Amino acid sequence: MRIGTTLRWLVFGIAAFVMNFPVLATLITALKAPGEVSRNPSLWIEEPTFANFATVLTISDRLNVYHYLWNSTVAALIGAVLPVIVAFPIAWAMARRGVGRALLFPLVVNLRALPLIIFAIPLYLMYAAAGLLDTRLGLGLILAIVNLPLALMLLVNAVAEIPLELEEAARMDGARTPRLLWRIVLPLCRPALITTFVFGFITAWNEFLFGLMLTTQRAVPMTVGASFFFATSGGGVQWGVAAAVMIVAALPPLALGLVMYRRIAGSMVAGAVKG
Amino acid sequence: MAEVRLDGVSKSFKGTPVIRDVSLTVPDGSFCVFVGPSGCGKSTLLRLIAGLEQVTAGRIHIGTRDVTALEPQDRALSMVFQSYALYPHMSVRDNIAFALRTARLPEAQVAAKVAEAARMLQLEPYLDRKPAALSGGQRQRVAIGRAVVRAPQAFLFDEPLSNLDAALRAETRLEIARLHRDLAATMIYVTHDQVEAMTLADRIVVLNAGAIMQQGTPRQLYEAPQNTFVAQFIGSPRMNLIPCAPDGPGIRLAGGGLIARTGAAAHCGIRPEHLTLDPTGPIRARVETAEYLGADLSLHVDAGADGRLNLRLSGSATLRPGDAIALGFAPAQAHLFDAAGQRA
Amino acid sequence: MNSPRRENAVLAAPLVLFLLALLGFPVMLSVVYGLSETTFQTLTRPRFVGLDNFARVLGDDGFWQAAWFSLRFGVITAVLQCALGLFLAVYLAPLIRRHGWMVAVLIIPMIVAPAMMGLMYRLVLHEFAGPVPHYLYAWFNYSPPFLNAANVFTTVVVAEVLQWTPFAFLLFLTAYQAIPQEVREAAAVDGTRPWRMFWRIELPLMLPTAFVALFIRFIDGFRVFDNIYTLVGAGPGGVTTSMSIYIYEAFLRQGDIGRAMAAAILLFGAAFTLLTLAQRLMRRAA
Repeated sequence: MRIGTTLRWLVFGIAAFVMNFPVLATLITALKAPGEVSRNPSLWIEEPTFANFATVLTISDRLNVYHYLWNSTVAALIGAVLPVIVAFPIAWAMARRGVGRALLFPLVVNLRALPLIIFAIPLYLMYAAAGLLDTRLGLGLILAIVNLPLALMLLVNAVAEIPLELEEAARMDGARTPRLLWRIVLPLCRPALITTFVFGFITAWNEFLFGLMLTTQRAVPMTVGASFFFATSGGGVQWGVAAAVMIVAALPPLALGLVMYRRIAGSMVAGAVKG
Repeated sequence: MAEVRLDGVSKSFKGTPVIRDVSLTVPDGSFCVFVGPSGCGKSTLLRLIAGLEQVTAGRIHIGTRDVTALEPQDRALSMVFQSYALYPHMSVRDNIAFALRTARLPEAQVAAKVAEAARMLQLEPYLDRKPAALSGGQRQRVAIGRAVVRAPQAFLFDEPLSNLDAALRAETRLEIARLHRDLAATMIYVTHDQVEAMTLADRIVVLNAGAIMQQGTPRQLYEAPQNTFVAQFIGSPRMNLIPCAPDGPGIRLAGGGLIARTGAAAHCGIRPEHLTLDPTGPIRARVETAEYLGADLSLHVDAGADGRLNLRLSGSATLRPGDAIALGFAPAQAHLFDAAGQRA
Repeated sequence: MNSPRRENAVLAAPLVLFLLALLGFPVMLSVVYGLSETTFQTLTRPRFVGLDNFARVLGDDGFWQAAWFSLRFGVITAVLQCALGLFLAVYLAPLIRRHGWMVAVLIIPMIVAPAMMGLMYRLVLHEFAGPVPHYLYAWFNYSPPFLNAANVFTTVVVAEVLQWTPFAFLLFLTAYQAIPQEVREAAAVDGTRPWRMFWRIELPLMLPTAFVALFIRFIDGFRVFDNIYTLVGAGPGGVTTSMSIYIYEAFLRQGDIGRAMAAAILLFGAAFTLLTLAQRLMRRAA
């Protein structure tokens, strides 16, 4: 069995290395001095330095990373919190009273499978008319739509798991629906709310297409901002700085994800299996 | 406190009748027990009174009000659930206070009432704990405290002792009885355990398949059961039922013996404690098992055509499996039932 | 009782209003623009042209090329991800039971934004700054041009598979761990060896998950945009233009709103049909 175990560790090592290779290579590149990058493309850093990160984190004419980070944070917060607010009341009605089970629930849940580009174009035109183009709010709203299917699914499941007797006891205690939802159901859904928020935040932060189409300058999120560094295809790309930008862009979801990965794993599975 | 009255209440789930035309009155301040086997509808009946289910037909009155169309929040009742249904995210104090705060009572009053309920149920040391940190018995008391604090028109108990172990069950049974005396409250109690019914109730309602089999005091049900169902449900060990038929001036048992009673009887019921060893008795049997319980000897005997019977003798009797015995009883102790299972 | 009905309407209102505003209206718009000729200058005055746009789309080689790409890409990446994911889940499960942190390491790729991943692959495969060509030259004296017309499809497929295999891995791991231990124990007592155990007992029990995984990964592959766009854009000769990229280019690069909308509506129809079909299949299988 020891040979078997060693082999398994080997497979794990190879899989982990190969799948994470781009992230590793980018990190390594980011830690190389600006001159070294084009000279030494290997994985060995001759002189590790934080110079690139320093460049990224200093505001300059070319780059204001805090602007992109702020845009991403605000838009992702809207995109993660709004679905919960919108979906929670009806999630309870769906779980307890079967409201919308036949039509609304499948409709929302199937949104997940539709190519986002379908909505991007008419949304662009609508935003143009409504003055929502290039705004954090506009971006946040569409991110909320993206997260809505999973939010609804997770919340309906969470409510269904609360024993009905607790709600009956609250009704006997005189609580009408608003108080019941606010004081009893919502607090008991806390794990699902956290999971929905974390997963929604990561998904919203990682979104690219809508950021690309719906923002130009004021509300550009981190993912799109990072891609600006590659705009000059071929030569002229400062790889060290670009790599550092990408690491900075990827850090918030990674930090959240790795802290909460057990919860997220569950929600991914739930999103998949029940979808 | 108020009386609770049901008039012709029926309930069907998706076309299947679960409660059939039930009418009963629970007098103000009395302790009424709904008892019956699993699936007889006793919990459904309680939930109809609580308002957690809607009647299909009939009316429900609490005091002078017709509450049939009212939501549970508006019926002024308290319910203790089988699984206690304590709010897991709130402390004991907040659990008890929840209903008072819902009614927007001033905090000072809330605190006073909570303190009083805690004192009555000895919950003072636990007020700041969460339900998960309490034992089963303690949770039970919190559930009762939550019900008591609202001073409702009536208390509803849904099998509150089922989840407790035997020792705790006996102890809590006494506490509930004490509560009833102290509060002089109308209490409606659902259980499948006839011991709980007999010991706690002023009135018992025996239910089977959604209909009332009999209602009355424990003594009435025990000494004068109106049908074979009640006869065998109330009393432990069960009443013996021997097939029989009228024969001239008396009743002839299936095994051949003659009883000095008259009536259109198809079954003769005799309680285990009324059977005695009697060489001249009408029943011949062979002992199958003898359970020695110290004060009693519980015998299960095979009486041939008369069926399998059980009886209780004093613990000093020395009978063993295989022994042949003769049994008798006072004719007045027999309960006669006709072919439809009704009292003859 | 009537109050629940009114109450239900109040509870449903936020969702319904939100959907109507952010989806209902755009959907209406897309139908209007799909049937009209518009430019960015004449947005408020669309000229009705009936099914003209649809005809142009269906007659456009680029559209069919993109459709074919998305189909191939979706199927190939889904199959590869599920095969790899299944293998990793089953093979590594005994280790993971004792070392839960392994899961965290393996799911890192899917927490990184696909757009970022595309850029990272661009770096990694770059002929001057990238480690992969560097080591290939050092060991084999040869490094293939990853992004030329012949190789680019393989490259983007590999990139997608490596990023999303963890998703399939997670699904299969959960399904594998959900198999009751007693089932395995009963089989073991009956003398079942590991390979037979997997093939005859564990795999059949994970088949539903496999369908779900294949389906989800296909859908995500079919509508891919982010990582391909940042890695190669439309690709040499439009070779890596997925359906989403085709529509994007038509809309923003060529300003051909009508054609973009028509293509989007067709894509919607295709996705919806596929979805209903798959759900019907799954319901029959269940």
